[in-house]
Amino acid sequence: MMRLLRVELRRLWARRVTRWACVGILVLAALSTVVAYGTARPPSPQEVAAAEGAYAAELEVWEAEGAEQVADCEASAEAEGATPQEWGCTDMEPRLDWYLPPSQTFVADAGQDPAVFGSESVNTDDPATAAAVQEVRGSVWNGWAGLSSLDDLAMLLLMGALVVGVSFVTAEVNSGSLGMWLTFEPRRQRVYWSKATAAAIGTAPLVVAGFALLVASSYAAFASFGTLGDVTGAVWAEVAAFTGRLVLAGAALAAIGVALGVLFKHAAAAVGVVAVVAWASLAFGYAFGELQRWLPTTALTAWLQGGSVFTVENCTPAADGVFECVPVDHVVTTAQGGLLLLAATVVLTGAAMLVFRWRDVS
Amino acid sequence: MTAPVGGDLAIETRGLRKTYRSVRGRAVGVEGLDLQVPVGGVHGFLGPNGSGKTTTIRMLLGLVRPDRGTATIFGHPVPRRLPEVVGRVGAIVESPKFFPAFSARRNLSLLADAIGTPRSRVDVVLDEVGLTGRARDRYRTYSLGMKQRLAIAATLLKDPDLLIFDEPTNGLDPAGIREIRRTMRSLGDQGKTVLVSSHVLAEVEQIADTVSIVARGRLVASGRVADLLGSGAGSRAVRVRVAPDDVTIATSVLETGGLLVRREHGALLVEGLDDAGAVNRALGERGVWAHELTPLQPDLESVFLGLTQHETPGAPTRGRRRRRGGPPDPPAAREQPSDLATEVGA
Ligand SMILES: Nc1ncnc2c1ncn2[C@@H]1O[C@H](COP(=O)(O)OP(=O)(O)OP(=O)(O)O)[C@@H](O)[C@H]1O
Ligand SMILES: [Mg+2]
Repeated sequence: MMRLLRVELRRLWARRVTRWACVGILVLAALSTVVAYGTARPPSPQEVAAAEGAYAAELEVWEAEGAEQVADCEASAEAEGATPQEWGCTDMEPRLDWYLPPSQTFVADAGQDPAVFGSESVNTDDPATAAAVQEVRGSVWNGWAGLSSLDDLAMLLLMGALVVGVSFVTAEVNSGSLGMWLTFEPRRQRVYWSKATAAAIGTAPLVVAGFALLVASSYAAFASFGTLGDVTGAVWAEVAAFTGRLVLAGAALAAIGVALGVLFKHAAAAVGVVAVVAWASLAFGYAFGELQRWLPTTALTAWLQGGSVFTVENCTPAADGVFECVPVDHVVTTAQGGLLLLAATVVLTGAAMLVFRWRDVS
Repeated sequence: MTAPVGGDLAIETRGLRKTYRSVRGRAVGVEGLDLQVPVGGVHGFLGPNGSGKTTTIRMLLGLVRPDRGTATIFGHPVPRRLPEVVGRVGAIVESPKFFPAFSARRNLSLLADAIGTPRSRVDVVLDEVGLTGRARDRYRTYSLGMKQRLAIAATLLKDPDLLIFDEPTNGLDPAGIREIRRTMRSLGDQGKTVLVSSHVLAEVEQIADTVSIVARGRLVASGRVADLLGSGAGSRAVRVRVAPDDVTIATSVLETGGLLVRREHGALLVEGLDDAGAVNRALGERGVWAHELTPLQPDLESVFLGLTQHETPGAPTRGRRRRRGGPPDPPAAREQPSDLATEVGA
């Protein structure tokens, strides 16, 4: 078993797909560094001067017509039965930062304004849920900062692990070399385990190195402009914990890739199925209502980011036949996301192993 | 050939059956095959296209599950106890299949690692099949013959007691064919068992000690090559040479006697008789004297065609089973076409 695992690892690392994955990671890191440099750069004196000019002009207009605009806004809001806050009437005075080019810090400031940074109010009556929602929204992965944008790139690393896992077995099926392999080791269960384990273990260094490279290059970009923000020990601890969860997720996705590769035999089919599922659950997730907690994308996000929040509109017919909708927040915890990911891995692996065990190989 | 006792069989199958399910229903791959391959020597495994040779080999190697029937290799039931004997079996199934982007050396060293064979053995077997010079090139860039050689090298990695070759000379040049033939023959002479399926019957006739002929997934004949050739399963013929002036009269004399006569390279090929002497007598009675009278031993091809020519692919399976037994006829003075005249073993 160990012998087979070693051979499969050797094969995995000799494969071109794996080498291309390394190249892909380098390209990804390079691109993210370029983006990081763009957002880390504080505004130049010219930009500040231009922004101040534009701001001054707008302020003049505001001073002349602001009160009238607010009154209009409030009147319209009232006509529609909304509060002035919902229509943004309270937030109409121009601010200098609207006219400055966007610039981030590596980690968001603790005192970030939630209204500006997209974390809406909490919609729940349950205090425990409310606390959980606050915690998820306050995590370093949810702000508007250099570090917070890296979790999406980490998803790309996971997709890479999946593709490497898929092609690790489909290449063998399609070239027919699986038949030759089985004449050397006919114990199919062992063969399957060695392949799945090799994919899970073998892609881990790629995922770790890839993410470390992303974090390091982003950090370097922000550090070079002195716009790191408040990088505390707690931030690094969370980065380390995230990396740990990322590695486990990568192993799970590589194993899922092997399972799908065995089940579908063709790399395009297996990857296509994953792409369709991911796209559908991202694009139509809201349509699932409370079932969203079972979507693979929700599980993955929850596992990686330390929880995930989704909002469902709870609609009830009111007396006059109009539906009244109340948004309600739901939280998927890290553990729930992880368990779902684990369950998916176990179920798919079991199915693939059964198929692999009994399938005719030509 | 009487059935050898169990211990002497390298391969034995009983009632082996495999059907393939498809949208159009079930296709029969192998239909109750009883195959016996004795230990040691070269065993030819013959049959028309689609008769189930490759399917049988796949079942023996555990690649395909039989629907019914049993198979053993060196007495071990397969596929259940295949892991115990697989180290003694080297096999090429159909066309060679390796990782296209890896070199020959890497392909073989992965296989060697998988079974715990030292990697030094890789260079030895690559040298044995004459691939050392190209060992570092990608498998993808190989010619068909080189791929075939690499597959043979892979089977030799294990130093097996049983070698299963499914059309091993397919795509090889004449020198390559001859080399593989020699290799198979010498493996057989070393006491190893070689099961070779081939459509080149002249080749099998030269190297095989025993053969099994299958058609439509069933065994139609098996036994020693010499026995099959002497069995009358193929027709016997006599070549007669007479003076050019006598050809016409000789032909009519023989045809009147109920024999089938064909002209071939200035000689008459007479078929459908038991005794060459009868030709001589009939001609002599009419004052025609033969310059040459050569009994021709049927070759494997004619035996094969005689047994299988009604077994066209797609025809419904009939209960056509003929197994030859009994003591062998003493091989007659056997004349072979000159291109077959080498390397007759056993
Ligand atoms: N994977 C498969 N799916 C469906 N039918 C198959 C499959 N493999 C083989 N068959 C069918 O099984 C029968 C036996 O095929 P097999 O390949 O064993 O013949 P063969 O004796 O090796 O022929 P050849 O001399 O052409 O190599 C054929 O009718 C073939 O169509
Ligand atoms: Mg075949």
